[in-house]
Amino acid sequence: MSLDIKTTYIERETVWCVELVGEIDIYTANKFREMFEELYEKKRENIEIDAKNLDYIDSTGLGVMIGALKKLRKENKKITIINVKSNIKRVLEITGIDKIFIEN
Amino acid sequence: MQNLKKQEIITNTKKQQIKLSVPNEPEYLSVVRLTTSGIANRVGFDLEEIEDIKLAVAEACTNAMTHGKAENGNYNIEFTIEKESMIIEVKDSGKGCMVENIRKPQERELAEGGLGVFIIKSLMDKVEISSKLGKGTTIKMMKKIGGK
Repeated sequence: MSLDIKTTYIERETVWCVELVGEIDIYTANKFREMFEELYEKKRENIEIDAKNLDYIDSTGLGVMIGALKKLRKENKKITIINVKSNIKRVLEITGIDKIFIEN
Repeated sequence: MQNLKKQEIITNTKKQQIKLSVPNEPEYLSVVRLTTSGIANRVGFDLEEIEDIKLAVAEACTNAMTHGKAENGNYNIEFTIEKESMIIEVKDSGKGCMVENIRKPQERELAEGGLGVFIIKSLMDKVEISSKLGKGTTIKMMKKIGGK
């Protein structure tokens, strides 16, 4: 049980693509937080999270995402999530966070 | 398979209990999730319900680890399987000072914390939180079997 993160900067779209594989909880949240900090230092651009291989996220992980978004919003940038699994979509909907991170 | 399980539950009127004592270490949370899924599956909950229970228990454990710094470094989980419901209690032996402001997170507000208890309350059928000074916090939650 762990979390793997792959980050790629896509020059022509000026967006960070973040692929998450595994689970985000209190154990892996630090790694998740550090990734956002690293991207923020490198290039303050929009972030697109591909969650097709993300199996689980809890409030700890959501907290990290909200924290990262707050910082990026000051630069007029955003974070979006794509390819969300149904169980994760449910957590996002319950907390109302879907409206912040999922674009229709 | 599913039918068989349900029948087993109906004929089983005895209360059954499973108790865990878990180290206050984040790396054990995935073990708790696996255990919880296993128990919920055994009881006969469907996949969606299992996901709900797993998340609710994990949120309660995260709370226990963050708010309740137990002296012996462990917190306790009790699963009680009754005829019509499963009750899970997560107890820490921390300071018991959890004066959580449990409110619906406002979309615009973007709060980073306080989501855990809100999630538990949304996913489970009944939730009781008792927090006594010096005696730690207990989150007791119930999910109905075949509650859909």
